[in-house]
Amino acid sequence: MNYPIWDVPIIGGGLLIGIVSILHTYVSQFAIGGSLFLVLTERKAYRENDPGMLEYVKRHSRFFLLLTVVFGAITGVGIWFTIGLVHPSATSALIHIFVWAWAIEWITFLVEVASAFVYYYAWDRLDRRTHLKIGWIYFWAAWLSLAIINGILAFMLTPGQWIITKNFWHAFLNPTYLPSLVLRTAVCLALAGLYALLTASRLQQAELRVKLVKYASRWLAPAFFVLPIAGIWYITQIPPLAREVSMGGAAAVTIFAGLSILFSVIIFAFVYFGPYREPGKFPFSFSVMFLFMGLLVTGDTEWVREAVRKPYIIYDYMYSNAFLVAHRDQYQREGSLASAKWVATKGIADADMTAAGRDIFELQCQSCHTIDGYIAIRPLVRDWPEEYIDRQLENLQTLKGYMPPFLGTPRERHALARWLASLKGNNVTGNIHIVKPSPVSRDLTQGDRDAK
Amino acid sequence: MQSNIPIPDLDPVSLPAPVWLLKGLLLLTFFLHIIPMNLALGGGFVAAITDWIGRRRNSEHHLSLARSMARILPIVIAFAITLGVAPLLFIQVLYGQFFYTSSVLLAWPWLSVVVLLILSYYGFYLYSFRWEQLQGKRLVVVLASAILFAAIGLIYTNNLVLMLTPEKWAAMYFQNPHGTHLNLSDPTVVPRFLHFFTASFALAGLLTAVLGLLKQRQDSAYGQWVIRYGLLWFIIATLLQLGVGSWFFLSLPQAVRTMFMGGDGVATAILVVALVCAVASIALMLIGFGSSNPVWKVIAGIVLITLTIICMVLIRDLVRSAYLERYFDASRFSVEPQTGVIVLFFLLLLGGLGIIGYMMKKLLVAR
Repeated sequence: MNYPIWDVPIIGGGLLIGIVSILHTYVSQFAIGGSLFLVLTERKAYRENDPGMLEYVKRHSRFFLLLTVVFGAITGVGIWFTIGLVHPSATSALIHIFVWAWAIEWITFLVEVASAFVYYYAWDRLDRRTHLKIGWIYFWAAWLSLAIINGILAFMLTPGQWIITKNFWHAFLNPTYLPSLVLRTAVCLALAGLYALLTASRLQQAELRVKLVKYASRWLAPAFFVLPIAGIWYITQIPPLAREVSMGGAAAVTIFAGLSILFSVIIFAFVYFGPYREPGKFPFSFSVMFLFMGLLVTGDTEWVREAVRKPYIIYDYMYSNAFLVAHRDQYQREGSLASAKWVATKGIADADMTAAGRDIFELQCQSCHTIDGYIAIRPLVRDWPEEYIDRQLENLQTLKGYMPPFLGTPRERHALARWLASLKGNNVTGNIHIVKPSPVSRDLTQGDRDAK
Repeated sequence: MQSNIPIPDLDPVSLPAPVWLLKGLLLLTFFLHIIPMNLALGGGFVAAITDWIGRRRNSEHHLSLARSMARILPIVIAFAITLGVAPLLFIQVLYGQFFYTSSVLLAWPWLSVVVLLILSYYGFYLYSFRWEQLQGKRLVVVLASAILFAAIGLIYTNNLVLMLTPEKWAAMYFQNPHGTHLNLSDPTVVPRFLHFFTASFALAGLLTAVLGLLKQRQDSAYGQWVIRYGLLWFIIATLLQLGVGSWFFLSLPQAVRTMFMGGDGVATAILVVALVCAVASIALMLIGFGSSNPVWKVIAGIVLITLTIICMVLIRDLVRSAYLERYFDASRFSVEPQTGVIVLFFLLLLGGLGIIGYMMKKLLVAR
């Protein structure tokens, strides 16, 4: 509508966001859990007077420093970059609602980075008590940063009272805020445990290895108990449509949601029977596999969380294609091309139906669909005649609950149907064209009036 | 507002704070960002060149200085990034209409910043942590990292200039919607980038001089050498800046230039103050360079150059406003301040700074 649409061939913008945000979520949750792991293990080493364990913690503080201040921090900014490019309208809305939340998160980020440096560089310079204190600052700053971003993420699925009141606290402390925070915190601990399994299983000294492998496996216990309970709590708070989509409404989403649970159960079962029961026999290769499965679960779960939000990007406020829910009637009355700033076609002439259809696809569909790549449209409409496509478009929201309604005049819908029908064999109009026609403002609203 | 230039509408969500507050924070945090950013950008190159000279001439002084810089750079970069997040936040809330649009036009270069930054940052860590093991190869590592860092600066300049020129957007987008543009055809982009790039060498020189001041206590001959070496970088870069800065100024549109040449009293005054402080600081550094006890001259020079930077941050904002005058009217924002959250932000900021202060104090006491 308002912003130019970045045409990302093959993978589409949505998948690009997915790739960046899954990497960031995995690594940063891992880093948050890791900071707690460091400080608690450091304390344990002091209490048990175990220099081997202390050496182990010291060695890993460098890894977490590099992970937190480089990869975690920069991929976090990377999500911002990506969503700003793919969903500028939604990003702008979030920034306007939450600029102060982000500003506060920035403070926690400053403290986190500073404390990560002090924690790493001051092992031998500070006394034990002070060093532990720095470790606690590091953990709490990292966790608070999660607690703030979690509010913004949860808001997108359950904006709750904000839709009516437009009040910051209603937006931030929204219905899924707490269950989501509990879930994510438990996941952070579990990921720290998985990482610790990896590093502990490589220790040379057998006694220390057995002790630390068993200790690391215990870090998964909170998640084992908390995930099912918080998961059910979370599901009771999400919109009914989202629940439906994840439980049978959309096959792919349901399968992925199921896989997420299945993989989690497998990880817990293997960790219990493996490193927890038999810490001495735990091989390094298994820990790599666990870590990889952890990434799968994270990616899978985040994908499901994004998928159940459809047809919205901000629930009940903005559709996935950046059209505002409140303006729905206006789009259907006045058309979507009329208010679109970045399309060549302003009105629809009979001769130009397919060109207009292409522009409407860009406006209304391209935020999720590509033509031939990810969620490709061509194979979906291949066998459909134009009239059938038109009927599908007319009833999009009832036929496919996770898609927004068609947001334009009937004539615009015919144009889109015509273009979609042309995708069948004709590659000329169907290809993602490099050179677009220049934006001539053709005043052909006559055509629109005729259609009504 | 011109109808044939596609400028996105203001966001329907109200602005959560008065414009002056957001603008103030944008300028303040940009100032805080630009210092470590310059130190990191110039510092990478200065470290590489110093290290190279050291290895060629087998100069203990050069090598030991490069080693110190290698240790400092990762921390400086961490601050450049951390402090850079805040202005990126405030620019989006105030200028989102322009910023998001130009970003989409050069989407791939813009997104590549994330990858370039991760690579170059890890490169600087490699340079720091693997100093001994890498030997000659470390020159390649640090130079590559520094070049990547400069590339990020160039991409930023491309985008932040493009956001000021909406009249160019439509032609670019309709020619190619894949986000693979750059903005190098704009006559101000290259001189603007070089203006920042040159400044970064001057600031890296000052960082070096400050290092020298600290080292002087333990080893006065080495400390003296480091101070002079840093001042030399500062003096050469700042003299070059006279040319580069003038080029940049002349590349600006006529209307913007006139503003700083008497057209607008405040703008002209700020530019004059900036130039006077810069010239005075060169003079002080030159005297410092020849003197046997340069401490106070260096410190006074740093204070003056800081004033120049503050003025330049203000000038940059005036230039932006002048460019956008036809397209942007801050009085059109509907403002509904989230007062409670704003107060909370400032309280937490104090708390956060207090905690950082506490940690620094503990570190210093431990020395």
